[in-house]
Amino acid sequence: MQVEVKNLTYTYSEKSKDLATRALDNVSLTINEGEFFGIIGQTGSGKTTFVQHLNGLIKITNENSSIQIGQFKLQDKKCDYLGLRAKVGMVFQYPEHQLFAETVFEDVAFALKNFEPNLSEIEVQDRVRSAIEMVGLNYQKVKEKSPFELSGGQKRRVAIAGVIVAKPEVLVLDEPAAGLDPQGKKDFLELLHTLHKEFVKTIIIVSHDMNVISEHCTKVAVFSSGRICAVGTPKQVFSDYELIERLNLDLPTTAKIIKKLSAKGIEIDCDLTVKDFVRAIKDKGERL
Amino acid sequence: MPLIQLENVNFSYDKNIDVIKNVSLSIFEGEHIAIIGHNGSGKSTLAKLFNGLVKADSGSVKVMGLDCSDKKQVYDVRKKVGVVFQNPDNQLIASIVEDDIAFGPENLGVNRKEIAERIDFALKSVGMEKFRHSSPTRLSGGQKQRIAIAGVLALKPSVLVLDESTAMLDPQGRKEVLEVAKKLNQEQGTTIINITHYMDEVVNADRVYVMSNGEIVLSGTPQEIFSDREKIAKYGLELPLSTTIADELNGVGVNIDGDVLTEEQLSKNIENWLEGLCK
Amino acid sequence: MKDFSFGQYYPAKSFVHRMDARAKILISIAYIVAVFLVGQFQFMGFLACLLFVLIATICSKVPFLKVLKSIKGILFLIIISAILQLFFRSDGKVVFEWTFIRITDMGLLNAGFIIARITLVVLGASLLTYTTTPVELADGIESLLYPLKWIKFPVHEFALIMSIALRFIPTLLEETDRIMKAQKARGANFESGNIFKKIKALIPILIPLLISSFRRADELADAMDARCYSGSKNRTRFKKLTFTYRDLLGTLLIAGLITGIVFLNITGFLMVTL
Repeated sequence: MQVEVKNLTYTYSEKSKDLATRALDNVSLTINEGEFFGIIGQTGSGKTTFVQHLNGLIKITNENSSIQIGQFKLQDKKCDYLGLRAKVGMVFQYPEHQLFAETVFEDVAFALKNFEPNLSEIEVQDRVRSAIEMVGLNYQKVKEKSPFELSGGQKRRVAIAGVIVAKPEVLVLDEPAAGLDPQGKKDFLELLHTLHKEFVKTIIIVSHDMNVISEHCTKVAVFSSGRICAVGTPKQVFSDYELIERLNLDLPTTAKIIKKLSAKGIEIDCDLTVKDFVRAIKDKGERL
Repeated sequence: MPLIQLENVNFSYDKNIDVIKNVSLSIFEGEHIAIIGHNGSGKSTLAKLFNGLVKADSGSVKVMGLDCSDKKQVYDVRKKVGVVFQNPDNQLIASIVEDDIAFGPENLGVNRKEIAERIDFALKSVGMEKFRHSSPTRLSGGQKQRIAIAGVLALKPSVLVLDESTAMLDPQGRKEVLEVAKKLNQEQGTTIINITHYMDEVVNADRVYVMSNGEIVLSGTPQEIFSDREKIAKYGLELPLSTTIADELNGVGVNIDGDVLTEEQLSKNIENWLEGLCK
Repeated sequence: MKDFSFGQYYPAKSFVHRMDARAKILISIAYIVAVFLVGQFQFMGFLACLLFVLIATICSKVPFLKVLKSIKGILFLIIISAILQLFFRSDGKVVFEWTFIRITDMGLLNAGFIIARITLVVLGASLLTYTTTPVELADGIESLLYPLKWIKFPVHEFALIMSIALRFIPTLLEETDRIMKAQKARGANFESGNIFKKIKALIPILIPLLISSFRRADELADAMDARCYSGSKNRTRFKKLTFTYRDLLGTLLIAGLITGIVFLNITGFLMVTL
């Protein structure tokens, strides 16, 4: 499924003028199927408003704006939002705070029962089992447990299972690793990669952690004051030092070192992943 | 005399699971300490032991000679050790910034004139003078957390404990809070104890304690801590990214000094290595 | 959710802002009594009340539109009560009739009367919260309720709970919005279905909200302890409540208003009986 956003403009509380702020201003962006897409920008730059449009949590109000995701045309009044939300999964910050059911099984099955009410008990069980196993938990061990008994990292996994159980083709995650400890964060990002490889075609993450973006994303969009200032590979976006600094954003560690070396007249040309950076330094040395 | 001294402290919320096991440590005036460890390692409980929010089951916790387990002394301890928690929303009590900062001094029975002075001082220390009459709900995460710090500073503490106070903030907010802590440490000599998951915050500390399953398993300078790669992995921590990159470089035959902790050191080392090759 | 305005403080340095919170609370109560004292169809009385609110608003430096906006929150209530009056008063002269709908002049008068009454009460009450910080309000109530201490009523705790509740309203509204969106993203439907289905649909919101409120309460208690809270003993107050000439002026004005309304009522009564 391709995500195609055209001229998206959105204003909070349009009617009361004194509180009106333009959250999104004529934003156009295409996210191709298969991408691991990063969205960065300061708090209040419009990132969250943007992604909440993608599954209709915020509805299009401007008549010139359009969003097409697969067969769904979100500007249509008759758009099938339930169908859309099954295809575009959304994981909020601290998703474990939305757990509510008595057992892990019930919580994970919640979305499935909403989206596909006609499934048989057996089918529901199969789908829930595969979602729970997909996030790296032991189905037999956790299914009857209360979600509130689990550890923080496990809770978050259950919450993710509760979204991917609907088999979305696009998965949007807002600051997915927030609040996890270093090991938990590492495991969690690995999980996202596994999901991307085997289960969900397109992943979109909103994050402040530039190292996560440079290490994992194929493409990045930079938001500022409700507009997109730059779109491209992490390498392209983070080579515009002037822009990144003007928007008060950080560079990934690799980009910072490349910048420092460049100031000394040493040019390193590589993607911004640690692996490629190491390769480039080694190559540079070998050429000398 | 140490400012905070723990001797063989044990603590458990329920009898079966020990949250803190036989911990002893000494923190001195003016130090900047970092405490790290996986989730559930007991590091936040440690923060609560420091100001008597929880009481040790055995062993002793002393703050400037005061006994934290003594009911009569615990309020004096809390005056000395200010703790700022993770979620700024859950520690602001009043709907107006100055009223919130006044809460602490009011509890101490400070007179009106001095409360006003303390509010001035606390707001100035965190650089939030302009927001004196604002409502905290309209502030950014970093600003809210600075108000929370100001609320604690109004008690005139000698020690500021940041219990994952930057965990919920965006990079901008994190920077603001860390700058305030650094300034307090350098200009007013406030002892800082930063409990954190961010390794780049650890790098700037004077000393580091590593907690795992309720015990202190490592302590020393950031250099010393991070040089023990095996234990860092074992206790579920990570190296600063610059250190990881340095290791990877060494692994492929780029021989640089493995002791780097910061980007500056790493880029300098790469530069030196490349220059060495030219010669 | 973000433009939640009833009960929000509007910072300014005005005559009304500087008044004693206790005086403001008492005056507001007196004002509400005045509004309710206005006899049937004594629209002059309402005019006097409106004049009172207008003067108070001007003296408070709160933008008039902001005060008016507080009505928005209860507009629904106003409309419903007006409609009820309109349709269910069958006495008086019929001014409009269509099938079963019958509107009489008495109905119209009554509807107008109800609208005026609720609007005036809300305007006055919102002016109180716009010009008084929750802490002052709580302090004021604590001070006014002080005599209840004799019957062991926990006055200080009551006031503190109130001010904390006010402080957390916006936070909890934001949180509700977030949880609702998250469950909607999981296909939850809060709009359709019968009443039982709707109540059931609220469970995925209420449970997380409840759990998070407990967590917040727990953390807040720690934060208060960490800041040396130990109840009302030996506690000082940063904001002092003192009765000044402003409060005297306010009291005189409200006394005048009530006297005027009572006078109107009496003359009205005399006119009818004589």
